[in-house]
Amino acid sequence: MKKVLIVDDASFIRMLVKKLLTENGFEIAGEAEDGKSGVEKYKELKPDIVTMDITMPIMSGIEALKEIMEFDRNANVMMLTAMGQQSMVLEAINFGAKSFVVKPFKDDIFINTIKQILL
Amino acid sequence: MSNYNSNDALLEVFIFELSQLINQLEEQILTNEKMNYYSDSAVNEIFRIMHTLKGSSVMMGFENISSLAHSMEDLFYYIRRDGGQAIDFSELVDILLECVDFLKVEELKIREGYSLEGENSELLKKIKNLIPTINKEIKVKKIPCNNEILFSPISSQKDENNADHFYQAHIRFEDEISMENMRAYSIVHNLREVQNEIYYIPLDIIDNPDSAKIICKNGFYIFIRTGCCYETINNILRKALFINQLDLIEISDAKEFKQQVELFIQEDLMDEKIEIIDEQRDNVFEIRNEKSLSMQQNYVSAQESSVSMQHSFFGTQENSVSVQQNNISSQNNHFSTQQNHNSSQQSIISVNVTKLDKLMDLVGEMVIAKAMVIQNSDLAGLTLNNFNKSARQLNKITAEIQDMVMAIRMVPLSTTFHRMHRIIRDMNKKLGKETELIIIGENTEVDKNIIEHISDPLMHLIRNSVDHGIEMPEERILKGKSKSGNITIEAKNSGSDVHIQIKDDGKGLDRKKILQKAKENHMLTKTEEDISDSELFNMILSPGFSTKEIITEFSGRGVGMDVVSTNIELVGGSVSVESIPEQGTTITLKIPLTLAIIDGINIKVGSTFYTIPTTNIKEFFRPDITNIIRDPHGNNMIMVRGQCYLILKLADLFEVKGASSDFSNGIMIMMEENEKIICLFADELLGQQQVVVKTLPDYILRSKKIKGISGCTLLGNGGISLIIDVAALLRLDV
Amino acid sequence: MTEIDLSDSVTEEDTQKGRYLTFTLGKETYGLEIRYVTEIICIQAITELPELSEYLKGIINLRGKIIPVMDVRLRFKKDYCEYNDRTCIIVININEISVGLIVDGVSEVLSIDEKDIVDPPKINSTFQNGYIKNIGKVGSDVKLLLDCKKLLSEDELVEIDKAIS
Repeated sequence: MKKVLIVDDASFIRMLVKKLLTENGFEIAGEAEDGKSGVEKYKELKPDIVTMDITMPIMSGIEALKEIMEFDRNANVMMLTAMGQQSMVLEAINFGAKSFVVKPFKDDIFINTIKQILL
Repeated sequence: MSNYNSNDALLEVFIFELSQLINQLEEQILTNEKMNYYSDSAVNEIFRIMHTLKGSSVMMGFENISSLAHSMEDLFYYIRRDGGQAIDFSELVDILLECVDFLKVEELKIREGYSLEGENSELLKKIKNLIPTINKEIKVKKIPCNNEILFSPISSQKDENNADHFYQAHIRFEDEISMENMRAYSIVHNLREVQNEIYYIPLDIIDNPDSAKIICKNGFYIFIRTGCCYETINNILRKALFINQLDLIEISDAKEFKQQVELFIQEDLMDEKIEIIDEQRDNVFEIRNEKSLSMQQNYVSAQESSVSMQHSFFGTQENSVSVQQNNISSQNNHFSTQQNHNSSQQSIISVNVTKLDKLMDLVGEMVIAKAMVIQNSDLAGLTLNNFNKSARQLNKITAEIQDMVMAIRMVPLSTTFHRMHRIIRDMNKKLGKETELIIIGENTEVDKNIIEHISDPLMHLIRNSVDHGIEMPEERILKGKSKSGNITIEAKNSGSDVHIQIKDDGKGLDRKKILQKAKENHMLTKTEEDISDSELFNMILSPGFSTKEIITEFSGRGVGMDVVSTNIELVGGSVSVESIPEQGTTITLKIPLTLAIIDGINIKVGSTFYTIPTTNIKEFFRPDITNIIRDPHGNNMIMVRGQCYLILKLADLFEVKGASSDFSNGIMIMMEENEKIICLFADELLGQQQVVVKTLPDYILRSKKIKGISGCTLLGNGGISLIIDVAALLRLDV
Repeated sequence: MTEIDLSDSVTEEDTQKGRYLTFTLGKETYGLEIRYVTEIICIQAITELPELSEYLKGIINLRGKIIPVMDVRLRFKKDYCEYNDRTCIIVININEISVGLIVDGVSEVLSIDEKDIVDPPKINSTFQNGYIKNIGKVGSDVKLLLDCKKLLSEDELVEIDKAIS
């Protein structure tokens, strides 16, 4: 089973994503509620893929993405963003995010994005 | 037991977070208000809160919340980028607080299960109007010029490989994946290392979200000159996600390549131009409708200048690239100045309150079960040294568990207290007064169940203080006081109670007026001279009592203070009022630390058992008949050390059968509450016990609220003891 | 008498519908729908509460839970009868509210077919008829089947009072 690290400051979203992933056969490696602990957890847990919220306190998703990519060139990071944050998505792509999902997302799109990244 | 399916759990977490976010938002808005501007960190924090709120609410399908959040996010994005100077600060704050209020109402609706139909279009319009027209002007500049289409690639690499290949790719994405322009960008990004020259249409995928619509309609075109073979390019393209259709054709030579590119670019420009003109026309209509003359004038002049403005195709690109760079640098600034988030780094988990309630119940039953074991009648008269030792150990551990469970349920008063800032601000604004709020001891903790009953009374008391107590600023200055009034909320632990004091330095209570009103309502039981200030002032807690001539929106109906005291008494607390004319009024709320377990003394009257809370007992003794007298009204009184106290015979009050009516055959218990004393006569004193308070069954409470009984408890022998509400008994006789 | 716990005797909601617990008050037999009955216990010490209606006798301790008890005789405005060791308390539960009904004695659980159940007489000749839902015929006997909800409600009492006077 593929392991996923969920990084999002909204516990509501973490809960939703966790449920969705476990229902679709993924294992949850761990959760983090800000960018900084997200990076730490990545280094510690070495998940197969990370779902990363773009705006978070302490360290944003973009920063965290950068640090994770520096740590692991082949890291699979999928960004989660609410509509309308074009420039941030752009930045994320530039820094190596494999893909992004926009809220509100349909469950199958979310899962398919993850599956495709992991192919 | 409720069925907890995962959707309910999700909704609960959502609601919990929603209320947290709303509180954080309001706090941010208010704390910075005094400084008359929003610091970078405040702006960022508010932006982040709105973004999170938008994300979560949109996932749950709450459209009106997410659209409002989106609007506020845009507003703060603008402020973050351009600084907030162009916006009128106090207007901004008013609108923000209006938004907070809207969100609070929606939150309430979600909690109660109503459908959300909150109309937010007014609010959205107001927010939109705040963002100055500068934004609109930028759009205007973007009209590209037909004539000078500079044939320049979007990017290119210097090194020229062997044989160049030219390709044209046409890509369509799957429906409904949103942000197609970003996905397109992603593909371009993937090609950057292999391209020698690359063009794509539409061009403005980076900064124009509307290009996503164009991509949806027409698909995305890429023209690339590269040294790579067809296979390689095809593979790179296929790696992209959610592609519905991909056509990759090789173009034979450079000339045809150039022709194709030009053709497509021209068409795209045409489309774009038409779109922009349409939009501008709409904007003009909108502005006309909004009747803002100055804006219209600005706009007209902007229109005129745009006609004469001719931007080269290349120039437009540069513009958008530099805008993008600005964005990135502002992002970097944002990261470096961002303060640490308020939340502490402690490990905290959130627990469902029902679980805590259940735990509390179990602890209560454990206390009873323990009593049933240790005080079991089977053990009477036996010598049980080892048993007693173990029993003591059991007692100790049980007490610790009890303390721990109580501690878990304790919640600091800070959130409740901080809500008062908003109330004061609103009151100040509406009444034209100036009031400062000082909070002391906000970390004092109270049982979770009790907190809910404190909020409303507190709000009412604060409103009262500002409305009735604090004078207008001019008046205060005349009196030699500070211009702005002070209200202090102080909380502290005192024995097994929490004392909350609301103190204002206003004009105090008017003794004459209250006396007058008391007379009118026939509430005076003593003469004017005999009645003490404190007794008189405490009368304002009675229903229907109000000396304010005009009923305002906030107070004056005489309903408020009564509600305050009822609510506080509901949790077993008490309210007292003190005041000094011209100096201010102090209202003290005494609230028990916990509802559930109290120390009590068990007594027997007839065949019924009663329990009196230990905190209410001053002393008990066997009465001396010679000290007992009857007053002209037929009341029994007893003299104790020169003081005369009323005797209360529970047997009479509660109509208990089989009770002793002979004063020499019983015990007298002196009970006290709020400095009022009464002596209760009982048949027997049974002993002290730690008692788990249980409420009387709803079925009975619904038919009648029994005065004088606040609840019941189970005794060690399995019987039921009724817990006496001393404050209520004292009120009956006054 | 020992405690009779009825919860095991029923498997499905449906099978309870036509089943009634019968009890006696003097010469009459009444029936209660089994689905509302949670248990039957012997009479035990009742803690009286002041100020309540005459038929609300007070509260009892049922394994840690405090339950109000109602004297059904007094509820039906019959004469009060001293409690003895055959007096029972039937604990019913409607909408999460538990109330104990003090009755002279408990008889048996009967299954009554729908076709044997008829409407009560329209004329309220006796007080208790206000609480009767319908009448069940068992052999040659007639059982008065009670409406539990009406039994527990406060308002009905006043209306019935008026009807009688």
